[in-house]
Amino acid sequence: MIKITNLEKIYRTEEVETVALNKLSMQVAEGEFVAVMGPSGCGKSTLLNILGLLDDPDGGSFLFNGIEVSRFNERKRADLRKRNIGFVFQSFNLIDELTVFENVELPLIYLGVSTSERKSRVEAVLDKMQIMHRRNHYPQQLSGGQQQRVAVARAVVNKPKLILADEPTGNLDSSNGNEVMQLLTDLNEQGTTIVMVTHSEHDARYSHRIIRMLDGQTVLENLMV
Amino acid sequence: MLQNFFKVAIRNLIRHKGFSFINIAGLTFGLTACMLITLFVWDEKQYDRFLPNGERVYRIYNESTNNEGVRMLAPVPPMFATTLQQDFPAVEKTARIMMQPEYSRLFEAGKVKLYEASGFYVDSTYFDIFQLPFKYGSRKDALDDPASIVISEEMSRRFFGNDNPVGKSLLMEKQPFFVKGVFYKHPKFHLQFNYLVPMAAAGIPADRIQSWRWQQFYSYVKVKKGADVQKLEAEFKKTVAQKTETFRKEDRMTFNPFFQRLEDIHLYSADFKYDMSVRGNITYVKALTIIAVFILLIACFNFINLATAKSLQRAKEVGVRKSIGANRKQLMIQFTGETILLAFISILFSVVLTFLFLPLLNQFTDKQISFPLFTNPIVLLLLFLLTVLVGVLAGFYPALVLSGFHPVKVLKGNVVSDVLPGRIPWLRHGLVVIQFTLSVLLIISALVVYRQVKYLHNKDLGFSKEQIMFFPMRGDQLFRNHESFKNELLQSPGISSVSIGYGFPGDAVAGDQIIVPRNGEQKIYSATHLIVDHDYIKTLGLQLVVGRDFSKQIKTDKDEAFIINETAVKELGFGTPGRALGQTLLWPTWNDQRPDSLKKGMIIGVVKDFHYKSLYDKLETAVLHIYPDAYWKVAVKMKAAAIDQSIQHVKQVWNRYTPDYPIEYNFLDESFGKMYKAEDKLKALVWVFTAIAISVGCLGLFGLAAFAAERRKKEVGIRKVLGASVRGVVLLLSKDFVKLVLISLLIASPVAWYFMNQWLQDFAYRIDLGLWVFVVAGVSALMIALITVSFQAIKAAIANPVKSLRTE
Ligand SMILES: Nc1ncnc2c1ncn2[C@@H]1O[C@H](COP(=O)(O)OP(=O)(O)OP(=O)(O)O)[C@@H](O)[C@H]1O
Ligand SMILES: [Mg+2]
Repeated sequence: MIKITNLEKIYRTEEVETVALNKLSMQVAEGEFVAVMGPSGCGKSTLLNILGLLDDPDGGSFLFNGIEVSRFNERKRADLRKRNIGFVFQSFNLIDELTVFENVELPLIYLGVSTSERKSRVEAVLDKMQIMHRRNHYPQQLSGGQQQRVAVARAVVNKPKLILADEPTGNLDSSNGNEVMQLLTDLNEQGTTIVMVTHSEHDARYSHRIIRMLDGQTVLENLMV
Repeated sequence: MLQNFFKVAIRNLIRHKGFSFINIAGLTFGLTACMLITLFVWDEKQYDRFLPNGERVYRIYNESTNNEGVRMLAPVPPMFATTLQQDFPAVEKTARIMMQPEYSRLFEAGKVKLYEASGFYVDSTYFDIFQLPFKYGSRKDALDDPASIVISEEMSRRFFGNDNPVGKSLLMEKQPFFVKGVFYKHPKFHLQFNYLVPMAAAGIPADRIQSWRWQQFYSYVKVKKGADVQKLEAEFKKTVAQKTETFRKEDRMTFNPFFQRLEDIHLYSADFKYDMSVRGNITYVKALTIIAVFILLIACFNFINLATAKSLQRAKEVGVRKSIGANRKQLMIQFTGETILLAFISILFSVVLTFLFLPLLNQFTDKQISFPLFTNPIVLLLLFLLTVLVGVLAGFYPALVLSGFHPVKVLKGNVVSDVLPGRIPWLRHGLVVIQFTLSVLLIISALVVYRQVKYLHNKDLGFSKEQIMFFPMRGDQLFRNHESFKNELLQSPGISSVSIGYGFPGDAVAGDQIIVPRNGEQKIYSATHLIVDHDYIKTLGLQLVVGRDFSKQIKTDKDEAFIINETAVKELGFGTPGRALGQTLLWPTWNDQRPDSLKKGMIIGVVKDFHYKSLYDKLETAVLHIYPDAYWKVAVKMKAAAIDQSIQHVKQVWNRYTPDYPIEYNFLDESFGKMYKAEDKLKALVWVFTAIAISVGCLGLFGLAAFAAERRKKEVGIRKVLGASVRGVVLLLSKDFVKLVLISLLIASPVAWYFMNQWLQDFAYRIDLGLWVFVVAGVSALMIALITVSFQAIKAAIANPVKSLRTE
């Protein structure tokens, strides 16, 4: 599903040039659950953002389902993104002005799904995430765990083939964290490909494979048993 | 999707109440001002458009050059119309109106006895050109009979109640006329007449009506359909040049006729002399339009500034929406849409405010402007377009900035100013500079207008106009016995002097000529003739420079003496007042029986220049002399005490001399005050709109300062912990804005200087544009900005630093 070769990303500021990704290559197959680990600043988030087409690389190739996407313009990227990719962030990133229901509904709106279908799909997802009773609450009125479940619901509502999660449990306590990990595992079992960045060995154990990064390169890959 | 946008927009409005309030208030103020101005301007442009076939009607005016310079004259010689009708096939009809001094005539019908103003002698073709609707009678032959009169519907009601007056008799100054028709006045007609009498009744001698130089007739032509007016005008110019060749050489006087479109008369005749149409002024209309645009721009800039300053708060939303798959276009539409919604809300408020303030504007401008919101679909359409225009104008740039945010950067959390591209502060500062430039421009204009108007009212006119009662004589008996009438008036202890004459300040004066015999030649000059008596100089408090006043002891003064003003000394080439004394002057009198008679006399005195006309006009050569045949008006100088008794006395004496006529009087200073009514109103309007523009600008600045203070909260906290004083912090936060205001001042001053100088050129007598005007404007703009900004700065400076640091 994902095949990247010699991917480069360099941040230039006035004084320094940071090589965030240094000729990085990796692959993710359809249906896999991959965890990315490594010390702070090694380029994990950068990698994820490029995988999610939120950012473009400075070099190398990125094949998504066999299509070279690294030179796509913003329009095309937005289009590809809304059909195929769901995001879960460490800091939830829900829109404060929208209710739980409306936040989850948003991707479907951009996809142009009809009102009635939106309603049934959003309700089904909220049901699954067990936050249906909170559907008319605003994000500020929810606990961190509940907010992250809403974020996961939003990420999956348009049935993306790939979910990218950047430290999804980073702001949660262990029981809430486990709940979110369970949700991701369930989704993966239903066929969704997942790439997750984490600092927690515990969370990483939910995955099939761990990619370890150092200074913008993969240094090790271990398969979970 | 729209529904979702709408929801977010509304919730955003509610969540950020302060921001919404400032924006909506600013836009509402701005839009209300714009709407009121638009209604006013629109109304000004409606004049004469109601007349059928008006697009084929032109007025002929004259660009007349003589020794006093170039003047636009609304009245032209009678032969203009005659020739156009006879020799120019492109002309369908012409009509003339004879110019007469503003004078009300006494009308009588049965028991009703009233003075009526605004009546004129007109050609019988008048109603062919101006097809006013008739209530009674027929337009066709209304003016055919010399004894007929056509009156307005209002006048008809005053004399005949609700009856049909056609065929009834109406006495005008004791002379019988028969009402032939009743027409409806139209508020948007440039000729607001109450009654019309056929030209035949004026008794103009045949040779005078053949004149090519007697500029006494307002002349209109209606051209045939499809006529080439430019060609017609060019050919007519040639004809006029030919016909006036003789006196062009003799008197150094040239005529250059122009055709003026009917719909241009109201707004484009402001500098015409002797025009009696209802006139507006295109300069003021344009100035107001510019002010309206300024205010709208200031309000829009507020929005742009505040929205971009606030965009940080919405950065996260943008990031999330993008990561979910929104593209830039969708976000642009969303954010611009939000602004349009805001504009829509503001428009709703302004419509309400416009309805509330329109009566005030009407009262102030003496107009009957209506706001045809519900009757005219165009207005709705325009409002809709305005909503979109303001929404796009104000919303486009912030939307561009917001939708351009990079999702990775803004989602990283703790975003700071580096999210905003480097040019943003520049833009924001630029807009503040533009806003303040516009405000400073308005402040300077307001100050200059205020000072000029004050000057107009207070300038020493060279005579005293206080406590002078002023009225025309009426009735043969009074004219014949004016000498004893005057003596009886003087019996009252409250009356200090009385002068009878023709040509008092602020009233009609006669423009004519004066001849100076020099080296065997007779040189002709234009001159104003002030017909006076022995008490004129005393009554008006004029000052003699040399020589003496007219004296009853010296018998020749009555027929052989002239007094001239200082300007005349120069214009007539005498050099110094002393040398003018004893010089001879010749004047062809106004004696109809003996048209060739010359009055010959000596200059016995020179008076200091005094302004007998408004300050728009330059002082001209004026000649004062005694000529009882032309006596017409009476000026009574009263002592300040017991004015009421003195007026009572004048009335009693009047009733003894001329009981048939009611007395109609005013005071000289009042009529002088009225001369500058237009300027008074301009002054008020400029002040009001300047105040609005400044308030709107301040609202924006206030919001901007709030954001700046918010953004620098942490910095301020740290500085205070390190020992900064409150004053130091306020200074820190205000410094930037002060710089911007100073830049605005630098830009605005030369622009204002240029335009205000232009405006002042209209006045022959005007103030100097002193440096201090700019200083005052600058200091006030600075003060206003400082007060607005320091409110926020002080708030930030006195906040507890521990608190602001902890919340970071
Ligand atoms: N906008 C930026 N400008 C300059 N350098 C950047 C920028 N974003 C990231 N970097 C640098 O790129 C490198 C990789 O950053 P990245 O955020 O991918 O790290 P990470 O592995 O996600 O770290 P963490 O575990 O702390 O989240 C870092 O050295 C960081 O300083
Ligand atoms: Mg990271």
